[in-house]
Amino acid sequence: MLLLEYHNLLIQTLLTERFNSTTPTSIDQIISDFDGVTFHVSTPESKTKILVSISVKCFSDLVKYGANDVLRREYGPYVVEPEVGYDFSIVLDLENLPATQEEKDELIRKVALLRRNAMAAPFERAIDTHHSLSTEAAKFTAESAPETSNSEVMAIHYREEEAMYIQASHDRVTVVFSTVFREETDRIFGKVFLSEFVDARRRAIQNAPQVLYRNDPPLEIRNVPGVKTDESGDLGYITFVLFPRHLTRQRREESISHIQTFRDYFHYHIKAAKAYMHSRMRRRVADFLKVLNRAQPEQEEKEKKTVTGRTFTRAT
Amino acid sequence: MAYQTPAVVMDNGTGYSKLGFAGNDSPSFVFPTAIATKGPAGGAGGSGSGRPAVAQKPSYLTGGAGPAGHLSAKRGTEDLDYFIGDEAIAMGSGPGYGIHYPIRHGQIDNWDHMERFWQNSIFKYLRVEPEDHYFLLTEPPLNPPEARENTAEIMFESFNCAGLYIAVQAVLALAASWTSSKVQDRSLTGTVIDSGDGVTHVIPVAEGYVVGSSIKSIPIAGRDITYFVQSLLRDRNEPDSSLKTAESIKEEFCYVCPDIVKEFTRFDKDPERFQKYVVDQGAGKKVTVDVGYERFLAPEIFFNPEIYSSDFLTPLPVVVDNVIQSAPIDVRRGLYKNIVLSGGSTLYKDFGRRLQRDIRHLVDARIKRSEQKSGAKSGGLEVHVITHKRQRHGPWFGGSLLGQTPEFRSYCHTKAEYDEIGPSIVRRFALLGGPA
Repeated sequence: MLLLEYHNLLIQTLLTERFNSTTPTSIDQIISDFDGVTFHVSTPESKTKILVSISVKCFSDLVKYGANDVLRREYGPYVVEPEVGYDFSIVLDLENLPATQEEKDELIRKVALLRRNAMAAPFERAIDTHHSLSTEAAKFTAESAPETSNSEVMAIHYREEEAMYIQASHDRVTVVFSTVFREETDRIFGKVFLSEFVDARRRAIQNAPQVLYRNDPPLEIRNVPGVKTDESGDLGYITFVLFPRHLTRQRREESISHIQTFRDYFHYHIKAAKAYMHSRMRRRVADFLKVLNRAQPEQEEKEKKTVTGRTFTRAT
Repeated sequence: MAYQTPAVVMDNGTGYSKLGFAGNDSPSFVFPTAIATKGPAGGAGGSGSGRPAVAQKPSYLTGGAGPAGHLSAKRGTEDLDYFIGDEAIAMGSGPGYGIHYPIRHGQIDNWDHMERFWQNSIFKYLRVEPEDHYFLLTEPPLNPPEARENTAEIMFESFNCAGLYIAVQAVLALAASWTSSKVQDRSLTGTVIDSGDGVTHVIPVAEGYVVGSSIKSIPIAGRDITYFVQSLLRDRNEPDSSLKTAESIKEEFCYVCPDIVKEFTRFDKDPERFQKYVVDQGAGKKVTVDVGYERFLAPEIFFNPEIYSSDFLTPLPVVVDNVIQSAPIDVRRGLYKNIVLSGGSTLYKDFGRRLQRDIRHLVDARIKRSEQKSGAKSGGLEVHVITHKRQRHGPWFGGSLLGQTPEFRSYCHTKAEYDEIGPSIVRRFALLGGPA
C-alpha cells in the first residue's frame, strides 16, 4: 500500500452490506478518520433510514470557504439538518435507493468520500480563483501585468497545531502545510523524506509540482495572523506549487484528493519506514545472537578429585 | 484536549482479528489475522516459492523473518507490498504472495509481520492517526512480559500512539458479561470459558487477576466440531460434505440437548426435526444435504468427548469443576457463581443451561458426600453460567465497554511515560474496571 485511499473503507463496507441485504438492521457506530474527523452512522428513526453525520475539526474554516455549497452540490437530495454535535448530516433511505447496481455503488462511493469532499471546498475555490485570475491576466502583456495578482490566503486549521494555507494566483496555486514533529526520530525521518520530495522533481519526474521545505514561514503566508515562527526547529513548512497543468478540469479532482491526503501520507510513510528499520534491526540482532552463540567457550573437561583422591566424573 | 477521540480497540486472536472503536457495540472489522507478503524473488538467494519443508528455528533466532521474508535484503518499497485480512487470503491463493499467520496459539510469533499487520490495520482499515488515539490491545492469559514489552515498543516507537493499555482477554470477557441482566454486581471474579476455533480455555479470574496455575485448555473447539459434522456427513454419503458446508450446518442448525438418548427418540418420533440444507456449489449447481442427528450430536462433543476423540476424554463440566477446585479456596464461591462464556463456539442454543446443570450436579454430589462424611449441614453453593448477547466477540466488546469510560485514559501508559521509563513500564497495568 503506497498511497492511502481517499474514501473511508469502513463506511463503504458498512453501506455496501446494508444496501445489498434485504433485512434492515439498526446501526449505531462511531467511526474515526484522520485529522480529528468523526463520523456517526446510525439509524435513529427507523431501520431503513441511515443517518451519516460528520464532524470536522476545522468545519468553521471550511464553511468560510464554501464547504456547504460543495457538499450541497455533491449530496443535494440527501442533505438534512445536521445532527446535534456534528457538522453535516445526510440521510440514506434504503427504501428509496437508486435502481441499478452501478448507481448504488456510485452513491456508496460518494458517501465514503464525505471527508474528502468536505475538505475539498477551499481547494476548489482556489482553483476557480486561479482560472478567473489567469483569464484576467491573459488580457495584459507580460510587461503591463499587475505586479501582485494574488488572492487572499485561505487558512485551514485542520489539526490542533497544524494548518494548511492555500493561495491562488494567476499562474499557480500554492498550498503550504505547517508540520510539527513532537518526536525527535520522526523529525529526522521527516526531513529525509521531504528532501526526497524536493529532489524528486529535479531527478525524475519533471511534471511534478514544485515542493519546497523550510523552517520559517514562506513569504506567502508570513502576514497571515496566527502563523507561528519558532526557533526550536520543531515547526516546518512544506510548500506545494501547483501549476496550471495540475489544475485543468480533468486533473483537478485527482490533484485535490492527492494533496489533501498529503499529511497522512507523510506520517504513514514515516511510520512505515520505522517499521522497516525495526525489521532490519531484528534481523541484525538475530545475526549477532548467532555469532554470540558460536563464541561460547567450549566446556573443558577437567578431572575432578574427591577428598579421598578418587577421580570423579559427573554423569551427563 | 477538549475533544476526545475514541479509543481504538484491537483484539488480535489466533484466527481472527477484531478491530474497532470504543463505544461501538460491535467491532468495525473482523478479518483473519493473516498477512500475505511477496514471496522470495525467484532464483538468486531465494529457496524457490513457498515455504521449505524444513522446520524453522525458533523465531527469535531468525529475527522472526522466515525464508520468504528477508526484507532486509531488499531495497525500495517492497516492505509496503503486502496485504492483510481477507485480502491476504485472496492474494495468498494466487501466485507471487505467500501467506503468513503472525499469531500462533494466541501469542505473537512473528513481530515483523505483526508490526506490518498493525500498520495496515491502523492506516488502511481504521484510518486513524495513532498519535491522536489511545489504544487498547488484548493478550492471552500467561502472555510473557517480554511479549508485552515488544508490543509496547512497536506501538510507541513505530506508531507513536498516544497511550496504550494491554488487557487480558479473559478479564475483558468478564467485563462483557456485565451487559447481561443476570449480572447484578460488576465484579471481576469469575470463570471464563473461552472457546474459539482452535482451542478452548477455562480461565479462573479472581478480582481481575488470572489464577495462572489453574488454567486448563481443552483440545476441542470450533474446528473439531466442524470436522465432526463433516465426518457424520461423509458417513451418510451426503452429496456435499465439504468443510464449508459442514461449517454452515454447524452454525445454522446445531444446538445443545439436555439428554442424547431422549433426543434420539424425539427425532425418530418427529420427522420435522430433520432438516435440509441447500448448498450452492457454484455455476448454478445446487444440491440438498440432509441435516439429522448432528444437530445435537456435534456440540455434544464438549460434554461427551469420547464420541469424537480417543485421547481426550474429560467432559467440559468436569474440567470446569476441576479448575475451580484447584483455585484458592477463598475465591471458589465467586468462581462458581459467575461462569462466563465467550467465543464463537459457545453460541449454541442452551449451551449455558446444559453446562450449568452438569456442573451443579457435580457440585451437589460432592457436597452431599462431604455432608455424609462430616455430618454437618452445608449452606449450599450457587452455580451460575452466564449467557449474554455479546459472547461472540466477548473480549472485544469488553474492551469497547471499558475503553469508553472516562477514566480509561488514566489507566493507560502514555507515550511520555514510556519515554521516561522504557518498555518495562508495560509489565504492570492498573486494573481497569476493578474496584477503585
